[in-house]
Amino acid sequence: MEERLLIEKNAIITGCARGIGKSIVEIFAQNGANIWACARKKTEEFEQTLQLLSEKYNVEIKPVYFDLTDKDQMKNAVRTIMSDKKDIDILVNNAGITYNALFQMSTIDKINEVFDVNYISPFLFTQYIVKLMLRKKSGSIINIASSAAIDGNPGRSVYGASKAALLCATKSLAAELGDQGIRANVIAPGITKTEMLSSMTEEVINQTVLNTDMKRPGEPYDIANAVLFLASDLSSYVTGQVIRVDGGM
Amino acid sequence: MLLTGKNAVITGCLKGIGKSTLETFAKNGSNVWACALAPDEEFEDFCQNLEKENNVWIKPVYFDLLDQEQIKSALKQIVSDKQPVHILVNIAGMTKDALFHMIPMDQMKLIFEANFFAQMYITQFITKLMVRQKVGSVINISSISALDGSYGQLSYSASKAAIIGATRTLSVELADKGVRVNALAPGVIDTDMVKAVPKDIILKRINQMSLKRLGLVDEVSNAILFLASDLSDYITGQVIRIDGGIK
Repeated sequence: MEERLLIEKNAIITGCARGIGKSIVEIFAQNGANIWACARKKTEEFEQTLQLLSEKYNVEIKPVYFDLTDKDQMKNAVRTIMSDKKDIDILVNNAGITYNALFQMSTIDKINEVFDVNYISPFLFTQYIVKLMLRKKSGSIINIASSAAIDGNPGRSVYGASKAALLCATKSLAAELGDQGIRANVIAPGITKTEMLSSMTEEVINQTVLNTDMKRPGEPYDIANAVLFLASDLSSYVTGQVIRVDGGM
Repeated sequence: MLLTGKNAVITGCLKGIGKSTLETFAKNGSNVWACALAPDEEFEDFCQNLEKENNVWIKPVYFDLLDQEQIKSALKQIVSDKQPVHILVNIAGMTKDALFHMIPMDQMKLIFEANFFAQMYITQFITKLMVRQKVGSVINISSISALDGSYGQLSYSASKAAIIGATRTLSVELADKGVRVNALAPGVIDTDMVKAVPKDIILKRINQMSLKRLGLVDEVSNAILFLASDLSDYITGQVIRIDGGIK
């Protein structure tokens, strides 16, 4: 028996060019989902990767390009997705930016930028997509937050708060949409091996890894596999939840 | 097939969530020591059918949670099979509802014996094997009543809260030995336990849920499957609510 948990499902994933998003695309494709893979910029490498995955797993994968902070681009992207006239079963809001700065050193420009990308943009994007999900009265929304949204680590007042805002909105969304057949949950990754780590010093990274019970950082696929659970029907009675994928912190 | 080649110990397999977990595990390629209270012909037939349909082995194991000697000999039986144990799912438990001031202490101790101490005894034994193998996943079934409180369920909810404390501490102790420990907190699931609750209380609870319906046993066993499988390799010490979003 083949283990494909997302057969005949259509998914939108943001932030697919690298890191966790890239891994989610691969694992979703492997599990039979058709995908609109969103990224900011068109690159040859990205398009090739998607094509290879599409052929390997016999699924449809379409690149969709937009800058999260450009609301006109976002609207166009939604129109592109709508023009495919397909049901949307899954939305994964994965794209985000990181920012490390002490509270007193955080600038208003950065606060605005981080909140725009990590909170306001996924909020608006989800508004568009939920409208489409409501037609079919089923769907699963997965928002990628962070353990920083729960723990309040030093230097993370802006980033953590933007993810905490997303986390709270997800819970409200789950409560509002549950009786319409739409679930909404959050994955809170701990320290994960992505390019985002480059914003931290090696010393901080090592110390954080030592602080995990498992004594290792998460791999992008560790996070993607948890997203897979929430996207699939295996989690059909799970909504409004925050699942930490952090190796124990 | 998320559990191909794995061997699992599951308690409380006779009915409800346990029976569904046994079935889900077998369908996903896991061999199972299926623990139940006492020998039962229908149960043995059920196990045999699962074996045939899914090409796995299912071994019924019988013990009473309230009898430590029985647990001990059952665990010895499992060890004597000389197979690695990859997964332990502690499902078996009991409830006796009563308002706090009406609970006889003996009854409270009984509930803790069945819902906490028996689980700890089994888990000590099995995780010893897991540590030796350097791999394992333990899934404890707690309850949302442990997190939220539940009218008339003091003994039950407190015993299930104890399970959460044990889950968190054990996860910290065993993480660097390759053993993960997590708990699930089911909400109101359509089982015999819930069928015994007055209908108006159930309707009120459903109204508090985002999904506006009772959970199904399969929905709990599918979440257990996730925590048992490699999909959750980086998840430990967590308590996941399977409750349809109860407010």
